[in-house]
Amino acid sequence: MAKKEAYPKYAPGTHVSTKDIVNKKIAYTWWEPEVQYSWSLGPAMSRFLIELKNGKIVGRKCNTCRRVIVPPRMFCEHCFGPTDEWVTLKDTGTVETYSISYLDADARRIKDPILIGVISIDGAAPLHGFMHYFGDMKPEDLHIGMKVKAVWKPEKEREGAITDIKYFAPLKKKGGRKK
Amino acid sequence: MTFLEKQTDPTSPMHWRGDMQADYMYTSGVAGDRFFQNLKKRGTFLATRCPECKKVLFPPRLYCEDCFVEIPDKGWFEVPARGTIRSYTVVALDARGDKLPKPKVIALIDIEKTDGALLGIINTRNLDSDLTGKKVKAVLKPKTKREGTLKDILYFE
Repeated sequence: MAKKEAYPKYAPGTHVSTKDIVNKKIAYTWWEPEVQYSWSLGPAMSRFLIELKNGKIVGRKCNTCRRVIVPPRMFCEHCFGPTDEWVTLKDTGTVETYSISYLDADARRIKDPILIGVISIDGAAPLHGFMHYFGDMKPEDLHIGMKVKAVWKPEKEREGAITDIKYFAPLKKKGGRKK
Repeated sequence: MTFLEKQTDPTSPMHWRGDMQADYMYTSGVAGDRFFQNLKKRGTFLATRCPECKKVLFPPRLYCEDCFVEIPDKGWFEVPARGTIRSYTVVALDARGDKLPKPKVIALIDIEKTDGALLGIINTRNLDSDLTGKKVKAVLKPKTKREGTLKDILYFE
């Protein structure tokens, strides 16, 4: 621990450095609480994840509002009525909004930024979608309205999670590489 | 129809299981640090006496909680690692609700020569008799294995 005189006047107190902790110079308690949860998915989200495992993106159609909702919901949030049918959608979409993060989940600075955003899936109603990562592109290329396509994990590695899609990559124009 | 749709396959992912990281580090502070370093090195307890109201604060504090007076360095002194059981609980289940192989006794112990108390585990085989008022003394880990935490106190007996 530093000497008391070393503190700046505007910040009284005892300053502790990482060294003090690493060298166990000060007394402290470290605890890792077990915080486990089990979130009940319900029929819509369950089916969505099962189909992701099969390499498909599914939505629910509300016949009253004539809109397809993805991720699927059993109730339409516009007319409050039950949704009517399952729709298999393409794995392509449009960037609705995005973020370029130079901080990781632990708020550490990183060199290669994490690209994330909301993708509205083709065939579903516009102006809504789900969040995912972007890849195979430079941060400066990412823009709103960009056409993207899902890059899936190999079938064996899929486990029924949103991460069964690795990321969304720019959609190649016709004549380019297809799937 | 939505209301008639039922999930009948129990293997389908109906639940999402997760694990939240919530690790934390709690530093003992200036007074706590002195207490634990002393426990580690000398195997005794420290307490502080308020110069104003003469109350003996245990665990030691830098300021008296009653009169807000700063406690000078000479207010610190050693107290024996002994005390009297004020209250206790016999614990049969662990934090998850599973049955413990052997019930544990957790007690609040009034530390001798102080006005404070400490929570500790009581090592006793006699669970049928009333333990309140029983004199107990702390059993510490061997000096080389002490880390300067409350776990250095193995139990009281």
